Amino acid sequence: MSHEAHNSPAERVRLSDLTSGEKGRVCDLQGEANVCARLREMGFCEESIVERVSGNSTLLCHVCGTKIALNGRAAQHIVVEKLPS
Amino acid sequence: MYSQHGHALTIIDLPGAYSLAARAPDEAVMRDVLLGRRADTPQPDRIVCIVDACNLERHLYQVHQVMDLGRPVILVLNMMDMAEAQGVKIHVARLEKILGIPVIPCEAINGRGLIELKLAMSRQDLPLPKHRWDVPAAIAAAVSELQASLVDNDGKASLIARAEALLLLTDHDSVRVSGSTPLHARTAEILENWKQRWKQAGTDWASMLVKTRFEETGRLCKEVVERGAPPRKRWNSDKLDAFLTHNVWGWSVFALIMGLLFYSIFSLAEYPMNLIDGLVASAADAVKGAMAEGDLRDLITDGAIAGVGGVVIFLPQILILFFFIGLLESSGYMARAAVLMDRLMAHVGLSGRAFIPLLSSYACAIPGIMATRSMDDRKDRITTILVAPLMSCSARLPVYLLMIAAMVPSDTVPATTKALIMLVMYALGTIGALFFAWLFKRSILKGAPSLMIMEMPAYQLPSLGTIARQMGERAWAFLYQAGTVILALSVILWALATYPKSPEGTSSSEALRHSAAGQIGQVLEPAIKPLGFDWQIGIGLVSSFAAREVFVSTMGVVFNTQDDDEDTTKLRDALRQATWPDKRPLFTPLVCFNLMVYYVFAMQCISTLAVTYRETKSWRWPAFQAAYMTGTAWLLCFLIYQVGSRFL
Repeated sequence: MSHEAHNSPAERVRLSDLTSGEKGRVCDLQGEANVCARLREMGFCEESIVERVSGNSTLLCHVCGTKIALNGRAAQHIVVEKLPS
Repeated sequence: MYSQHGHALTIIDLPGAYSLAARAPDEAVMRDVLLGRRADTPQPDRIVCIVDACNLERHLYQVHQVMDLGRPVILVLNMMDMAEAQGVKIHVARLEKILGIPVIPCEAINGRGLIELKLAMSRQDLPLPKHRWDVPAAIAAAVSELQASLVDNDGKASLIARAEALLLLTDHDSVRVSGSTPLHARTAEILENWKQRWKQAGTDWASMLVKTRFEETGRLCKEVVERGAPPRKRWNSDKLDAFLTHNVWGWSVFALIMGLLFYSIFSLAEYPMNLIDGLVASAADAVKGAMAEGDLRDLITDGAIAGVGGVVIFLPQILILFFFIGLLESSGYMARAAVLMDRLMAHVGLSGRAFIPLLSSYACAIPGIMATRSMDDRKDRITTILVAPLMSCSARLPVYLLMIAAMVPSDTVPATTKALIMLVMYALGTIGALFFAWLFKRSILKGAPSLMIMEMPAYQLPSLGTIARQMGERAWAFLYQAGTVILALSVILWALATYPKSPEGTSSSEALRHSAAGQIGQVLEPAIKPLGFDWQIGIGLVSSFAAREVFVSTMGVVFNTQDDDEDTTKLRDALRQATWPDKRPLFTPLVCFNLMVYYVFAMQCISTLAVTYRETKSWRWPAFQAAYMTGTAWLLCFLIYQVGSRFL
């Protein structure tokens, strides 16, 4: 099984560290409870798939069918597992 | 609005949100109305939730919370056409069956589904939602206990109490959830006890609740939503986003749009302005021809017509400004500009969210300040409110335009030069706003740097009908102000500038000096002389304290009293001829420039102060706002005049 070899734990990075075009699955929200609740309500729940579209310090991404702009300080709270694009 | 059977329906349009857990002031209004907490608004007897069909999963979260309230709910799936274009298929009948409420597919833009919605809203027998979801076991006991206490001690209805209990447990800040009426001591105690217990056990109760709800809505979506192939169109909008928010291209586009805006204010408006100018002049001449000489004739021509006409002439330019702002808003560009600005705003300690209120303040600070209600960080919000009036609003436009006209001869200087001077004023206000935001965020409103999380609306063709309606409303508001406040102030001013009367044969400038307005101006003169302003300008500064555009009508009244001709001369020429007692010209380019700078910074708008008071609920902030703005204006003008008059 060729893809068995890739089954090593996926690399975990912050959303702010994804490069444009990369996808990730949200696995953890860090920081104050209020910030996390807000992020969840905007669609960044655990298990949801995020795709970074563009931007540098302020980035645009697709999540839950919508396009969301986040600044770097907000994106740092979101930890994702990198997915193969 | 009327139902299909002719019964009157009262509809309350509440601010949009993602959750009942309100964070910003506008969301708190939505929550309080739905929970029946507001004394001025009864709890609605049915609730219509309008959601974007393209993103059902995200929006069902709040619908799910609303269904907790135990009221009849109608779910409207709007933009079905867009959803279909994106390959999203929603099984409406299945969704209706699972939720037990009317679900209406709709395309509001072309009217599809509106009859069905009206029919549903008219129904007497609207069903209650079949709403069953299991609160996580670790939390269920707390929900029941809190619910019971909210019913017994806080006097809430049973289902509302349950919804409130859930909100109290979703948000860590219970004071914010309970709003203006604090929780009963017993309820607060129960809440605190549970929180302590969970903290010791390491249970993250808030995220458990949010997660369970999302799992619930996620499961629902799996049953009713099918997603087809990803749309191809998305990539175009992504590319456009990347371009418009690019560090170089984005800023170039932004600069181009702003340049175009100011250029059109000068070039396109010329023809209608000349037309209005001609009409005002012929009205004054007609009155002069028809009436015998005397105070009443002067009151009408030099007071009412000169005052109101001097302001109304700027209507075309104000409309152009509103046309551009409407275009930027309805096309979806504004949100991209906010992303572009976020980096800049981060340097001064604000987020890109503050940009939209600031940009709206170019039109008028009042809607700008009200737009800060969507900001959830209180310190950021107050900072934005404090600096918003520094963005040059449309009421300053008449002052700038008059001063630019007096500064540079219009016939030989191209429109671009004037647009450039105007751009300098707008830039000065903007830089001032950013500087003071930076200062306040580092001193009196120190706080953690704020986060920006903002949904990007889809690009769409601007709706010209909506923009035209907004422009119509603005034009009416402006003309109404001109016809009431400015008319009244012009007449009062004319009286102050005319009485007490001087003996026959006194020159008109001596007569003005002798009048009540002249005396007020002279009392003020020592304070403004270091800025290059004389007592006649002083009358303008005082009279325009309530509203900036009154400066122009005041100049019209003050300088028209020196006009003995039968024809009404142009104000701009009258200003050029005005002199100090020693015959030095009064409106030198330096003084014109300084007056513009004064109006960039000085707080000359009662309505703005009233709105600041209403939004901050304290007299401290409007008082501070007036003091820091007018103080800065004086200081800056003092420096410019003292340094400038040495070199020029």
